[in-house]
Amino acid sequence: MSGPRDLPSRLRQNTWNGSIPLEIRLNPGDCRTYNESDPYLIQFPRLSYLGLLLPRIHAFFSSSLIFPDVLPTEAWVSYEDVPLKWHYPLGLLYDLYSGTDPAYAPDEEEEGRVVAVEPWKLMVNFSEYPVEHLVKLDADGKVLHDLFINNVKEADYLRNGTGRPVMSLSEKDSLQLWDSVKLHNFTLFNPINQKLLNPQGVALRHLPVKLYLPHAAPEESESGKAADTDKENHPGSLRVVQQLITTTLSSRQPQTIGTALNQILPSLFPSRRIVVLAQAVLHGAVLPLSASVEDLVRAASYLDGWLHIAVVMLA
Amino acid sequence: MAESTAFPLISKSDFEDACTELSALFAKHSTLQQEWLSVEVETRNGIKFLKIAKPLREFESAQGGDHVLRRGNGLEMEEEVEEDEEALANPPSGQNAVIEYDIILSPSYQVPVLYFNIKDPLFRYPPTMKTLYQHLVSPYFKPQAERVSVIGGITVTDHPLTNTPVFFIHPCQTVAVLEASRGIQELIPREYLMLWIGALGGCVGLHLPIALAEK
Repeated sequence: MSGPRDLPSRLRQNTWNGSIPLEIRLNPGDCRTYNESDPYLIQFPRLSYLGLLLPRIHAFFSSSLIFPDVLPTEAWVSYEDVPLKWHYPLGLLYDLYSGTDPAYAPDEEEEGRVVAVEPWKLMVNFSEYPVEHLVKLDADGKVLHDLFINNVKEADYLRNGTGRPVMSLSEKDSLQLWDSVKLHNFTLFNPINQKLLNPQGVALRHLPVKLYLPHAAPEESESGKAADTDKENHPGSLRVVQQLITTTLSSRQPQTIGTALNQILPSLFPSRRIVVLAQAVLHGAVLPLSASVEDLVRAASYLDGWLHIAVVMLA
Repeated sequence: MAESTAFPLISKSDFEDACTELSALFAKHSTLQQEWLSVEVETRNGIKFLKIAKPLREFESAQGGDHVLRRGNGLEMEEEVEEDEEALANPPSGQNAVIEYDIILSPSYQVPVLYFNIKDPLFRYPPTMKTLYQHLVSPYFKPQAERVSVIGGITVTDHPLTNTPVFFIHPCQTVAVLEASRGIQELIPREYLMLWIGALGGCVGLHLPIALAEK
Protein backbone atom coordinates (compact mmCIF):
# COMPACT_ATOMS: atom_id res chain seq x y z
CA MET A 1 0.00 0.00 0.00
CA SER A 2 1.56 3.27 -1.07
CA GLY A 3 1.09 6.30 1.14
CA PRO A 4 -2.07 8.27 0.54
CA ARG A 5 -1.55 10.99 -2.02
CA ASP A 6 -4.84 12.77 -2.34
CA LEU A 7 -5.50 15.62 0.01
CA PRO A 8 -8.48 14.13 1.89
CA SER A 9 -6.61 10.91 2.66
CA ARG A 10 -3.57 12.84 3.75
CA LEU A 11 -5.69 15.04 5.97
CA ARG A 12 -7.41 11.99 7.44
CA GLN A 13 -4.03 10.46 8.17
CA ASN A 14 -2.62 13.63 9.71
CA THR A 15 -5.71 14.04 11.84
CA TRP A 16 -5.42 10.45 12.97
CA ASN A 17 -1.75 10.86 13.87
CA GLY A 18 -2.13 14.13 15.74
CA SER A 19 -1.03 13.82 19.35
CA ILE A 20 -0.26 15.94 22.39
CA PRO A 21 2.46 15.41 25.00
CA LEU A 22 0.98 15.23 28.47
CA GLU A 23 2.67 15.66 31.80
CA ILE A 24 0.31 14.45 34.47
CA ARG A 25 1.07 14.99 38.13
CA LEU A 26 -0.69 13.55 41.12
CA ASN A 27 -2.66 15.99 43.26
CA PRO A 28 -0.39 16.50 46.31
CA GLY A 29 -3.45 16.01 48.51
CA ASP A 30 -3.77 12.46 47.22
CA CYS A 31 -0.06 11.71 47.43
CA ARG A 32 1.58 9.86 50.33
CA THR A 33 4.73 11.92 49.98
CA TYR A 34 2.99 15.19 49.16
CA ASN A 35 4.70 16.23 45.92
CA GLU A 36 7.46 13.71 45.63
CA SER A 37 5.85 11.48 43.01
CA ASP A 38 7.14 11.43 39.45
CA PRO A 39 4.91 12.79 36.71
CA TYR A 40 3.27 10.46 34.23
CA LEU A 41 4.46 11.36 30.74
CA ILE A 42 2.73 10.26 27.58
CA GLN A 43 2.26 11.32 23.99
CA PHE A 44 -1.48 10.80 23.60
CA PRO A 45 -3.61 10.94 20.42
CA ARG A 46 -5.70 14.07 19.97
CA LEU A 47 -8.63 11.95 18.81
CA SER A 48 -8.59 9.67 21.84
CA TYR A 49 -10.20 10.03 25.25
CA LEU A 50 -8.72 10.64 28.69
CA GLY A 51 -11.31 8.15 29.90
CA LEU A 52 -9.30 5.42 28.19
CA LEU A 53 -6.13 6.63 29.87
CA LEU A 54 -7.43 6.90 33.45
CA PRO A 55 -6.89 3.22 34.34
CA ARG A 56 -3.25 3.50 33.24
CA ILE A 57 -2.77 6.72 35.17
CA HIS A 58 -4.25 5.04 38.22
CA ALA A 59 -1.90 2.07 37.86
CA PHE A 60 1.09 4.40 37.51
CA PHE A 61 0.29 6.35 40.68
CA SER A 62 -1.18 3.55 42.77
CA SER A 63 1.98 3.13 44.89
CA SER A 64 2.02 6.86 45.66
CA LEU A 65 -1.58 7.17 46.79
CA ILE A 66 -2.51 7.98 50.37
CA PHE A 67 -5.38 5.54 50.04
CA PRO A 68 -3.96 2.77 47.85
CA ASP A 69 -7.36 1.08 47.64
CA VAL A 70 -9.01 3.99 45.88
CA LEU A 71 -10.69 2.77 42.70
CA PRO A 72 -9.60 3.91 39.23
CA THR A 73 -13.15 5.18 38.77
CA GLU A 74 -12.48 7.88 41.37
CA ALA A 75 -9.82 9.39 39.15
CA TRP A 76 -10.38 12.66 37.36
CA VAL A 77 -8.07 14.97 35.52
CA SER A 78 -7.96 18.73 35.82
CA TYR A 79 -6.16 21.60 34.21
CA GLU A 80 -5.73 24.53 36.53
CA ASP A 81 -9.21 24.64 38.12
CA VAL A 82 -11.02 22.99 35.25
CA PRO A 83 -12.22 19.39 35.65
CA LEU A 84 -11.69 17.91 32.18
CA LYS A 85 -14.50 15.94 30.62
CA TRP A 86 -12.86 12.60 29.99
CA HIS A 87 -15.38 11.72 27.30
CA TYR A 88 -14.39 14.71 25.14
CA PRO A 89 -11.58 13.99 22.72
CA LEU A 90 -8.25 15.16 24.12
CA GLY A 91 -7.69 17.46 21.15
CA LEU A 92 -10.92 19.31 21.83
CA LEU A 93 -9.99 19.79 25.49
CA TYR A 94 -6.58 21.06 24.45
CA ASP A 95 -8.00 23.49 21.90
CA LEU A 96 -10.47 24.78 24.48
CA TYR A 97 -8.36 25.08 27.60
CA SER A 98 -4.62 24.87 27.00
CA GLY A 99 -4.28 28.50 25.97
CA THR A 100 -1.94 27.45 23.18
CA ASP A 101 -2.29 29.55 20.06
CA PRO A 102 -3.86 27.58 17.23
CA ALA A 103 -1.91 27.08 14.02
CA TYR A 104 -2.69 28.80 10.76
CA ALA A 105 -2.47 27.16 7.35
CA PRO A 106 1.24 26.58 6.72
CA ASP A 107 3.01 27.15 3.45
CA GLU A 108 3.48 24.09 1.29
CA GLU A 109 7.15 23.75 2.24
CA GLU A 110 6.40 24.03 5.90
CA GLU A 111 4.01 21.13 5.89
CA GLY A 112 5.29 18.19 7.81
CA ARG A 113 7.76 20.20 9.85
CA VAL A 114 7.99 19.17 13.44
CA VAL A 115 7.04 21.79 15.97
CA ALA A 116 8.28 21.34 19.50
CA VAL A 117 5.25 21.43 21.73
CA GLU A 118 5.46 21.93 25.47
CA PRO A 119 3.75 19.14 27.36
CA TRP A 120 0.30 20.01 28.61
CA LYS A 121 0.61 19.95 32.40
CA LEU A 122 -2.39 18.25 33.94
CA MET A 123 -3.24 17.02 37.40
CA VAL A 124 -4.89 13.74 38.31
CA ASN A 125 -7.08 13.69 41.41
CA PHE A 126 -8.38 10.72 43.39
CA SER A 127 -10.67 12.49 45.83
CA GLU A 128 -13.57 14.93 45.79
CA TYR A 129 -14.90 13.75 42.45
CA PRO A 130 -16.80 16.70 40.94
CA VAL A 131 -20.04 14.78 40.43
CA GLU A 132 -21.84 18.00 39.59
CA HIS A 133 -19.62 18.62 36.58
CA LEU A 134 -18.28 15.28 35.37
CA VAL A 135 -19.96 12.06 34.43
CA LYS A 136 -18.64 9.25 36.61
CA LEU A 137 -16.51 6.63 34.90
CA ASP A 138 -17.31 2.97 35.59
CA ALA A 139 -14.94 0.06 36.09
CA ASP A 140 -15.49 -1.51 32.65
CA GLY A 141 -15.44 1.69 30.61
CA LYS A 142 -19.03 1.07 29.56
CA VAL A 143 -20.13 4.60 30.29
CA LEU A 144 -17.54 5.93 27.87
CA HIS A 145 -18.51 3.33 25.29
CA ASP A 146 -22.16 4.33 25.72
CA LEU A 147 -21.47 8.05 25.34
CA PHE A 148 -19.36 7.32 22.28
CA ILE A 149 -21.95 5.13 20.60
CA ASN A 150 -24.69 7.68 21.25
CA ASN A 151 -22.63 10.29 19.46
CA VAL A 152 -21.98 7.89 16.59
CA LYS A 153 -25.70 7.20 16.26
CA GLU A 154 -26.61 10.85 16.35
CA ALA A 155 -24.02 11.72 13.71
CA ASP A 156 -25.30 8.85 11.56
CA TYR A 157 -28.86 10.06 11.92
CA LEU A 158 -27.85 13.58 10.92
CA ARG A 159 -25.92 12.46 7.86
CA ASN A 160 -28.66 10.17 6.58
CA GLY A 161 -31.41 12.41 7.78
CA THR A 162 -34.28 10.04 7.29
CA GLY A 163 -36.65 8.83 9.94
CA ARG A 164 -35.50 5.30 9.43
CA PRO A 165 -33.91 3.50 12.35
CA VAL A 166 -30.34 4.45 12.93
CA MET A 167 -27.35 2.19 13.04
CA SER A 168 -26.85 0.66 9.70
CA LEU A 169 -23.90 -1.00 11.36
CA SER A 170 -23.93 -4.63 12.28
CA GLU A 171 -23.08 -5.71 15.79
CA LYS A 172 -19.68 -6.84 14.55
CA ASP A 173 -18.92 -3.52 12.87
CA SER A 174 -20.05 -1.66 15.93
CA LEU A 175 -17.70 -3.65 18.16
CA GLN A 176 -14.86 -3.23 15.68
CA LEU A 177 -15.43 0.53 15.75
CA TRP A 178 -15.16 0.62 19.53
CA ASP A 179 -12.07 -1.61 19.46
CA SER A 180 -10.48 0.74 16.95
CA VAL A 181 -11.09 3.61 19.34
CA LYS A 182 -9.70 1.78 22.34
CA LEU A 183 -6.62 0.64 20.43
CA HIS A 184 -6.38 3.77 18.29
CA ASN A 185 -6.05 1.48 15.29
CA PHE A 186 -6.67 3.08 11.91
CA THR A 187 -6.81 -0.24 10.05
CA LEU A 188 -9.77 -1.27 12.19
CA PHE A 189 -11.35 2.17 12.16
CA ASN A 190 -11.22 3.17 8.53
CA PRO A 191 -13.46 0.55 6.88
CA ILE A 192 -16.23 1.18 9.40
CA ASN A 193 -15.86 4.92 9.10
CA GLN A 194 -16.09 4.66 5.32
CA LYS A 195 -19.29 2.66 5.60
CA LEU A 196 -20.80 5.31 7.85
CA LEU A 197 -19.71 8.17 5.62
CA ASN A 198 -20.98 6.56 2.44
CA PRO A 199 -24.41 5.11 3.12
CA GLN A 200 -25.60 3.24 0.08
CA GLY A 201 -27.66 5.29 -2.31
CA VAL A 202 -28.04 8.25 0.00
CA ALA A 203 -26.46 11.67 -0.27
CA LEU A 204 -25.50 13.21 3.05
CA ARG A 205 -28.23 15.51 4.31
CA HIS A 206 -26.99 17.15 7.47
CA LEU A 207 -23.51 17.57 8.83
CA PRO A 208 -22.67 16.67 12.42
CA VAL A 209 -21.05 19.80 13.85
CA LYS A 210 -20.90 20.94 17.45
CA LEU A 211 -19.54 24.30 18.51
CA TYR A 212 -17.99 24.78 21.94
CA LEU A 213 -17.94 28.27 23.39
CA PRO A 214 -16.11 29.05 26.59
CA HIS A 215 -18.54 30.93 28.82
CA ALA A 216 -16.32 33.98 28.79
CA ALA A 217 -17.41 34.48 25.21
CA PRO A 218 -20.25 36.97 24.94
CA GLU A 219 -23.70 35.45 24.81
CA GLU A 220 -25.65 35.52 21.65
CA SER A 221 -28.12 38.36 21.87
CA GLU A 222 -31.32 36.64 22.82
CA SER A 223 -34.77 37.80 22.07
CA GLY A 224 -36.20 38.84 25.37
CA LYS A 225 -34.35 38.56 28.62
CA ALA A 226 -31.99 35.74 29.32
CA ALA A 227 -33.86 33.65 31.84
CA ASP A 228 -30.90 31.61 32.94
CA THR A 229 -31.98 30.56 36.37
CA ASP A 230 -28.79 29.23 37.82
CA LYS A 231 -25.72 30.21 35.92
CA GLU A 232 -23.27 27.38 36.25
CA ASN A 233 -20.28 29.47 35.35
CA HIS A 234 -17.82 27.27 37.17
CA PRO A 235 -14.29 27.29 35.78
CA GLY A 236 -14.18 25.92 32.29
CA SER A 237 -17.92 25.83 31.77
CA LEU A 238 -18.91 25.70 28.15
CA ARG A 239 -21.85 26.40 26.00
CA VAL A 240 -22.33 23.71 23.39
CA VAL A 241 -24.23 24.80 20.30
CA GLN A 242 -25.73 22.57 17.67
CA GLN A 243 -28.11 23.22 14.83
CA LEU A 244 -29.07 21.43 11.65
CA ILE A 245 -26.45 22.17 9.03
CA THR A 246 -27.24 21.17 5.46
CA THR A 247 -24.53 20.02 3.07
CA THR A 248 -25.37 22.72 0.56
CA LEU A 249 -27.04 26.10 0.74
CA SER A 250 -30.29 26.50 -1.11
CA SER A 251 -28.36 28.15 -3.92
CA ARG A 252 -26.46 24.89 -4.52
CA GLN A 253 -23.35 26.40 -3.05
CA PRO A 254 -21.59 24.06 -0.66
CA GLN A 255 -21.93 24.84 3.02
CA THR A 256 -18.67 26.36 4.23
CA ILE A 257 -17.41 26.90 7.74
CA GLY A 258 -18.10 30.60 7.15
CA THR A 259 -21.70 30.14 6.06
CA ALA A 260 -22.42 27.67 8.84
CA LEU A 261 -20.93 29.82 11.59
CA ASN A 262 -22.65 32.90 10.24
CA GLN A 263 -25.96 31.03 10.36
CA ILE A 264 -25.51 29.65 13.87
CA LEU A 265 -23.55 32.37 15.68
CA PRO A 266 -24.14 35.54 13.69
CA SER A 267 -22.98 37.84 16.48
CA LEU A 268 -19.58 36.15 16.66
CA PHE A 269 -19.32 35.51 12.93
CA PRO A 270 -20.98 38.50 11.27
CA SER A 271 -19.17 37.76 8.01
CA ARG A 272 -19.15 34.53 6.01
CA ARG A 273 -15.72 35.27 4.58
CA ILE A 274 -13.72 37.33 7.03
CA VAL A 275 -12.83 36.51 10.59
CA VAL A 276 -13.97 39.44 12.71
CA LEU A 277 -14.41 38.52 16.37
CA ALA A 278 -13.76 34.83 16.78
CA GLN A 279 -12.15 31.92 15.02
CA ALA A 280 -13.04 28.27 14.70
CA VAL A 281 -10.37 25.82 15.81
CA LEU A 282 -10.26 22.13 14.90
CA HIS A 283 -7.35 19.78 15.67
CA GLY A 284 -5.25 22.71 16.80
CA ALA A 285 -5.66 24.62 13.55
CA VAL A 286 -7.72 27.65 12.65
CA LEU A 287 -10.31 26.60 10.09
CA PRO A 288 -10.43 28.69 6.93
CA LEU A 289 -13.95 30.09 6.58
CA SER A 290 -13.96 28.95 2.96
CA ALA A 291 -13.50 25.26 3.87
CA SER A 292 -16.36 22.99 2.85
CA VAL A 293 -18.03 21.50 5.91
CA GLU A 294 -18.75 18.24 4.11
CA ASP A 295 -15.11 17.86 3.07
CA LEU A 296 -14.10 18.41 6.68
CA VAL A 297 -16.63 15.90 7.97
CA ARG A 298 -15.25 13.34 5.55
CA ALA A 299 -11.58 13.99 6.18
CA ALA A 300 -11.21 15.47 9.63
CA SER A 301 -14.06 14.47 11.89
CA TYR A 302 -13.44 13.02 15.31
CA LEU A 303 -13.86 9.29 15.92
CA ASP A 304 -17.56 9.67 16.71
CA GLY A 305 -18.16 11.27 13.31
CA TRP A 306 -18.58 14.82 14.63
CA LEU A 307 -16.66 17.97 13.96
CA HIS A 308 -16.17 19.27 17.51
CA ILE A 309 -15.09 22.84 16.90
CA ALA A 310 -13.75 25.18 19.56
CA VAL A 311 -14.80 28.78 19.11
CA VAL A 312 -11.94 31.00 20.27
CA MET A 313 -12.28 34.74 20.67
CA LEU A 314 -9.67 36.88 18.99
CA ALA A 315 -7.60 38.77 21.52
CA MET B 1 -34.02 24.82 4.38
CA ALA B 2 -37.51 24.11 5.49
CA GLU B 3 -37.66 20.65 6.99
CA SER B 4 -40.80 18.66 6.81
CA THR B 5 -41.76 17.97 10.37
CA ALA B 6 -44.74 15.68 10.14
CA PHE B 7 -45.58 13.35 13.02
CA PRO B 8 -43.74 11.75 14.71
CA LEU B 9 -41.30 14.64 14.37
CA ILE B 10 -42.18 18.07 15.72
CA SER B 11 -41.05 21.50 14.59
CA LYS B 12 -39.40 24.00 16.90
CA SER B 13 -42.37 26.35 16.88
CA ASP B 14 -44.89 23.56 17.53
CA PHE B 15 -42.71 22.27 20.33
CA GLU B 16 -42.49 25.69 21.93
CA ASP B 17 -46.26 26.10 21.62
CA ALA B 18 -46.74 22.72 23.26
CA CYS B 19 -44.52 23.71 26.18
CA THR B 20 -46.35 27.00 26.66
CA GLU B 21 -49.75 25.32 26.49
CA LEU B 22 -48.88 22.55 28.93
CA SER B 23 -47.42 24.96 31.46
CA ALA B 24 -50.53 27.19 31.14
CA LEU B 25 -52.76 24.16 31.64
CA PHE B 26 -50.80 23.24 34.73
CA ALA B 27 -50.98 26.78 36.11
CA LYS B 28 -54.75 26.67 35.77
CA HIS B 29 -55.37 23.26 37.27
CA SER B 30 -52.38 22.62 39.51
CA THR B 31 -54.51 22.42 42.63
CA LEU B 32 -56.36 19.42 41.25
CA GLN B 33 -53.29 17.22 41.42
CA GLN B 34 -50.37 16.40 43.68
CA GLU B 35 -48.09 14.65 41.26
CA TRP B 36 -46.16 17.65 39.95
CA LEU B 37 -44.74 20.63 41.80
CA SER B 38 -44.23 22.91 38.85
CA VAL B 39 -44.27 23.09 35.07
CA GLU B 40 -42.28 25.98 33.64
CA VAL B 41 -41.12 27.05 30.22
CA GLU B 42 -37.49 28.03 30.58
CA THR B 43 -35.06 29.64 28.18
CA ARG B 44 -31.39 28.97 28.14
CA ASN B 45 -28.91 30.00 25.47
CA GLY B 46 -31.91 31.18 23.50
CA ILE B 47 -33.49 27.72 23.54
CA LYS B 48 -36.91 27.11 25.07
CA PHE B 49 -37.65 23.94 26.96
CA LEU B 50 -40.09 22.60 29.53
CA LYS B 51 -39.08 21.89 33.11
CA ILE B 52 -41.34 19.70 35.21
CA ALA B 53 -40.54 19.17 38.87
CA LYS B 54 -41.95 16.56 41.22
CA PRO B 55 -40.95 15.41 44.69
CA LEU B 56 -38.70 12.37 44.88
CA ARG B 57 -40.52 9.44 46.38
CA GLU B 58 -38.79 6.21 47.22
CA PHE B 59 -40.06 2.99 45.71
CA GLU B 60 -39.13 0.97 48.71
CA SER B 61 -39.67 3.34 51.59
CA ALA B 62 -43.29 4.03 50.67
CA GLN B 63 -45.32 2.47 53.45
CA GLY B 64 -47.62 -0.33 52.34
CA GLY B 65 -49.73 0.64 49.38
CA ASP B 66 -49.56 -0.67 45.89
CA HIS B 67 -46.78 1.69 44.91
CA VAL B 68 -44.26 -0.59 46.51
CA LEU B 69 -42.85 -2.48 43.59
CA ARG B 70 -41.11 -5.29 45.33
CA ARG B 71 -38.65 -7.22 43.32
CA GLY B 72 -39.54 -10.63 42.03
CA ASN B 73 -43.23 -9.93 42.05
CA GLY B 74 -43.66 -9.26 38.39
CA LEU B 75 -47.30 -9.99 37.88
CA GLU B 76 -48.65 -7.63 40.48
CA MET B 77 -46.49 -4.79 39.33
CA GLU B 78 -47.83 -4.84 35.89
CA GLU B 79 -51.24 -3.39 36.64
CA GLU B 80 -50.25 -0.85 39.23
CA VAL B 81 -47.51 1.15 37.63
CA GLU B 82 -49.67 4.11 36.78
CA GLU B 83 -51.99 3.98 39.74
CA ASP B 84 -49.99 5.40 42.56
CA GLU B 85 -52.36 7.82 44.22
CA GLU B 86 -52.05 6.07 47.54
CA ALA B 87 -48.34 6.59 47.64
CA LEU B 88 -48.81 10.20 46.64
CA ALA B 89 -51.04 10.78 49.60
CA ASN B 90 -48.26 9.67 51.94
CA PRO B 91 -45.05 11.23 50.85
CA PRO B 92 -42.21 9.89 52.97
CA SER B 93 -41.21 12.44 55.54
CA GLY B 94 -37.83 14.09 55.67
CA GLN B 95 -37.47 14.20 51.91
CA ASN B 96 -37.05 17.39 50.08
CA ALA B 97 -35.24 16.15 47.07
CA VAL B 98 -36.93 17.00 43.80
CA ILE B 99 -36.79 15.25 40.44
CA GLU B 100 -36.40 17.72 37.61
CA TYR B 101 -37.44 16.62 34.14
CA ASP B 102 -36.24 18.79 31.28
CA ILE B 103 -37.97 18.18 27.99
CA ILE B 104 -35.76 19.55 25.23
CA LEU B 105 -36.20 19.39 21.47
CA SER B 106 -33.29 17.55 19.86
CA PRO B 107 -32.04 19.45 16.82
CA SER B 108 -30.74 16.19 15.38
CA TYR B 109 -33.68 13.87 15.91
CA GLN B 110 -36.38 16.57 15.85
CA VAL B 111 -38.24 14.93 18.68
CA PRO B 112 -38.28 15.98 22.33
CA VAL B 113 -35.70 14.29 24.54
CA LEU B 114 -36.11 13.71 28.26
CA TYR B 115 -33.25 14.77 30.52
CA PHE B 116 -33.67 14.42 34.26
CA ASN B 117 -31.86 14.48 37.54
CA ILE B 118 -32.46 14.74 41.26
CA LYS B 119 -31.98 18.14 42.81
CA ASP B 120 -31.08 17.61 46.43
CA PRO B 121 -29.73 20.16 48.89
CA LEU B 122 -27.60 17.41 50.44
CA PHE B 123 -26.30 16.04 47.11
CA ARG B 124 -27.32 12.53 48.08
CA TYR B 125 -28.23 11.45 44.55
CA PRO B 126 -25.37 12.02 42.10
CA PRO B 127 -26.12 11.12 38.49
CA THR B 128 -24.85 7.56 38.49
CA MET B 129 -26.37 4.32 37.29
CA LYS B 130 -26.82 3.33 40.93
CA THR B 131 -28.96 6.38 41.63
CA LEU B 132 -30.88 5.71 38.44
CA TYR B 133 -31.97 2.22 39.34
CA GLN B 134 -32.40 2.86 43.06
CA HIS B 135 -34.45 6.00 42.86
CA LEU B 136 -35.72 6.77 39.39
CA VAL B 137 -36.45 3.73 37.24
CA SER B 138 -39.17 1.69 38.83
CA PRO B 139 -38.08 -1.92 39.32
CA TYR B 140 -40.78 -3.00 36.89
CA PHE B 141 -39.06 -1.20 34.03
CA LYS B 142 -35.52 -2.11 34.99
CA PRO B 143 -35.11 -5.21 32.83
CA GLN B 144 -36.59 -3.39 29.85
CA ALA B 145 -34.38 -0.34 30.33
CA GLU B 146 -31.25 -2.40 30.77
CA ARG B 147 -31.74 -4.56 27.72
CA VAL B 148 -30.86 -2.08 24.97
CA SER B 149 -27.61 -0.51 23.87
CA VAL B 150 -24.35 -0.73 25.79
CA ILE B 151 -25.64 -0.28 29.31
CA GLY B 152 -29.31 0.35 28.76
CA GLY B 153 -31.67 2.81 27.17
CA ILE B 154 -31.35 5.30 30.02
CA THR B 155 -27.89 6.55 30.84
CA VAL B 156 -25.92 9.58 31.93
CA THR B 157 -24.87 12.31 29.56
CA ASP B 158 -24.17 16.03 29.63
CA HIS B 159 -27.28 18.18 29.59
CA PRO B 160 -27.34 19.93 26.19
CA LEU B 161 -27.89 23.35 27.75
CA THR B 162 -26.16 23.29 31.15
CA ASN B 163 -23.44 20.83 30.01
CA THR B 164 -23.53 19.10 33.40
CA PRO B 165 -24.25 15.38 33.95
CA VAL B 166 -27.86 14.26 33.93
CA PHE B 167 -29.82 11.15 33.03
CA PHE B 168 -31.47 10.86 29.67
CA ILE B 169 -33.55 8.47 27.64
CA HIS B 170 -31.81 7.66 24.38
CA PRO B 171 -33.83 9.32 21.65
CA CYS B 172 -33.11 6.87 18.86
CA GLN B 173 -36.19 4.79 19.66
CA THR B 174 -38.52 7.72 20.25
CA VAL B 175 -39.84 7.87 16.71
CA ALA B 176 -40.82 4.22 16.77
CA VAL B 177 -42.40 4.53 20.21
CA LEU B 178 -44.44 7.56 19.18
CA GLU B 179 -45.62 5.89 16.02
CA ALA B 180 -46.78 2.92 18.01
CA SER B 181 -48.65 5.13 20.49
CA ARG B 182 -50.44 7.32 18.05
CA GLY B 183 -54.17 7.13 17.53
CA ILE B 184 -55.84 8.07 14.29
CA GLN B 185 -56.61 11.71 14.91
CA GLU B 186 -54.45 14.71 14.14
CA LEU B 187 -52.67 16.04 17.19
CA ILE B 188 -52.36 19.63 18.25
CA PRO B 189 -48.95 20.45 19.82
CA ARG B 190 -50.13 20.05 23.40
CA GLU B 191 -51.62 16.64 22.62
CA TYR B 192 -48.38 15.63 20.96
CA LEU B 193 -46.47 16.50 24.11
CA MET B 194 -48.98 14.65 26.30
CA LEU B 195 -48.71 11.60 24.06
CA TRP B 196 -44.92 11.85 24.26
CA ILE B 197 -44.99 12.05 28.07
CA GLY B 198 -47.32 9.07 28.20
CA ALA B 199 -45.15 7.03 25.87
CA LEU B 200 -41.72 7.85 27.30
CA GLY B 201 -42.07 9.28 30.79
CA GLY B 202 -43.59 6.34 32.63
CA CYS B 203 -40.44 4.31 33.02
CA VAL B 204 -38.74 7.13 34.93
CA GLY B 205 -41.72 8.30 36.95
CA LEU B 206 -42.97 11.10 34.74
CA HIS B 207 -46.72 10.64 34.54
CA LEU B 208 -49.22 13.14 33.28
CA PRO B 209 -51.50 13.86 36.24
CA ILE B 210 -54.95 12.54 35.49
CA ALA B 211 -56.49 15.89 36.35
CA LEU B 212 -54.53 17.46 33.51
CA ALA B 213 -55.09 14.65 31.05
CA GLU B 214 -58.81 15.14 31.36
CA LYS B 215 -58.71 18.85 30.58
